[in-house]
Amino acid sequence: MTPPIDLDPQAQHRFPLLTPAGQARLQRLQEHPHAPRYNHHGVDRLSAEGLARVAAFEAQLAAEPRGWRPGETPAWLVELADFCFRAVPAYREYGPRPPSFFDIPTCERADLSREPWNFVPDTLPLDGLTVFQTSGATGHPLDILTHPEVLAHYLPLLRAALALHGVSLPAATAADPDYMALAVISDQATTYTYAAVSAYLNQAGLVKLNLRPADWRNPDDRTRFLDDCRPAVISGDPVALAALADLPLAHRPRALVSTSMALLPGLRQRLTERFGCPVVDIYSLNESGPVAAAGPEGDGYHILSHRLYVEILGEDGAPCPPGQRGEIALSGGFNPFLPLLRYRTGDYARLDLSKPRQAVLHDLEGRQPVTFRAADGRRLNNIDITAALKPLALPQFALHQAADGALRLRVAGGRTDEAALRSAIGRVFGPDTPLTIAPLAANDKVRQYSAEAGDDV
Amino acid sequence: MQREGPPIETLTRRLAECPADFLAAPRIGAIGTVNVAAVVSDLLRDLGGAPLSDAQTGPFVSRQARADRNRLGVVLVACWLLHDPWFQRSAQFAGAAGQLLSGGLREAAEATPADQFVSDPDRREELARLCLRDLGLRPAGESLAQAQDRLTTLNAAERRRVVAAARQAEERANAIRAAMRQRAEDEANAKAMRE
Repeated sequence: MTPPIDLDPQAQHRFPLLTPAGQARLQRLQEHPHAPRYNHHGVDRLSAEGLARVAAFEAQLAAEPRGWRPGETPAWLVELADFCFRAVPAYREYGPRPPSFFDIPTCERADLSREPWNFVPDTLPLDGLTVFQTSGATGHPLDILTHPEVLAHYLPLLRAALALHGVSLPAATAADPDYMALAVISDQATTYTYAAVSAYLNQAGLVKLNLRPADWRNPDDRTRFLDDCRPAVISGDPVALAALADLPLAHRPRALVSTSMALLPGLRQRLTERFGCPVVDIYSLNESGPVAAAGPEGDGYHILSHRLYVEILGEDGAPCPPGQRGEIALSGGFNPFLPLLRYRTGDYARLDLSKPRQAVLHDLEGRQPVTFRAADGRRLNNIDITAALKPLALPQFALHQAADGALRLRVAGGRTDEAALRSAIGRVFGPDTPLTIAPLAANDKVRQYSAEAGDDV
Repeated sequence: MQREGPPIETLTRRLAECPADFLAAPRIGAIGTVNVAAVVSDLLRDLGGAPLSDAQTGPFVSRQARADRNRLGVVLVACWLLHDPWFQRSAQFAGAAGQLLSGGLREAAEATPADQFVSDPDRREELARLCLRDLGLRPAGESLAQAQDRLTTLNAAERRRVVAAARQAEERANAIRAAMRQRAEDEANAKAMRE
């Protein structure tokens, strides 16, 4: 059989492990009659050695615990801390490594933002260094230094998240020459879009798509392309998944994966019913990769990696007692260009360590809790508001309370039932609280809750 | 350095035997175990002086781990050293010790991790001699010239090491920044070609 001709002379550079089967899949995705106007070249610069290391990571992931006992520090974490204080300038600046892990100073996004190069170990080769920028919602844009091998680690972690729901993400086989493993979708004004194949998934197809009609030659192509390519899993933020649900798609993926923003139960329910498959909510940060995934029974967010240590810290940086809610701090991860030690995420949860092999986060909120004031002066936690809005299928929202108590609720997505929103908010704040409802541009993370009338807690 | 102090060997041996409590993490905000101001205060009292007033605790209290953690670690090691019975018996070094601990160890802390003043023989000797100098003492049995010469030699060697390490660190940071710029340029060129 003669391998197909790749029209892009750079393909071998962009896909060092490309095989004839992969080349055929890539060509099909690029030249599909209903494909979008891709604006970027896909890449998968994984080497053969890197592929073996990612496979070893996945084998360890399946075998090793993703939990620990309260106060316990796993051996790998102790080794990581020793290494960081020996070889990473940012941690060396603290002086000697303290005997107790819990006496290591915490760091935060501003530290990474200021001098990302200081987190790169002294001896790490810079070959293959990749940089991607995140805008962030906290005022600290960030250059994340990473590597193709690091990016490939997302796939085992995605598989671990899917496995919680009994879903598998298989590698490609000769039996399915058109197999597409994953479609990553967005619904925003501009974003990179591309087609690629994954060496780790045996040359399975991958696409990054923008569902905005302007990215396609014909708006109907969105449905035709996805129905024809039949991605096993579709991943996107809640805004994109809500937009996907509005398309007359016949294809039923094995699972939908929600990332980047809080997924409210109302939307999850709507997506589950629409597509007849599990909707897996993943809590992920650019700094660490995927952290945890929601279980199928509403039983919290299960830590995904055996090389990620999670703490819950109080405002002063001291560890919270077991079960108490506080800020999530991460150590470990799989990015050798960014070894994390006690990295404060700005996100909040409770940590459940009752199962020694599986740590679980409960009451996860991606932003610092904010207190609001009800019309009668009661303090309201933003969790109360999240709970009130749960039955509504909101892909994204932001609520602000002005000093005079007036509320401004911004909501993304076109299917807003204003009466239901007013009713839900009125039940929490009191029926006479002034409320303005406005659309929310769904381009990036927003600060979900803010209040001039209450106090940050 | 006009007066003779204890033999240098006594002090370096004391440093080598520094207990773990003085190598524990200094408290910065809510993190760390040792209240450095309290340790300094106890030391000054044992040296015959008054404990720290609230206004004097400033140099020993911090919320900036990156800036102060190692310096406070060196202060703790120096407290252990100055608690040697020789200084306590003299009952006249509280003032000088207070000044040394407040600001005199900053340069040493910028160059050397605190634990090396316990684990490394040269750094032990350096810290012992620095402390003696700031207390107006020289090691027993040494002339003024010998004491000054030995401290200068130790300092010069350490400075060379620190300068070389700083240069190496700067070269590494420059290499990473250059690689980051190159990736950004590659990306911009690729984007321009696409458009």
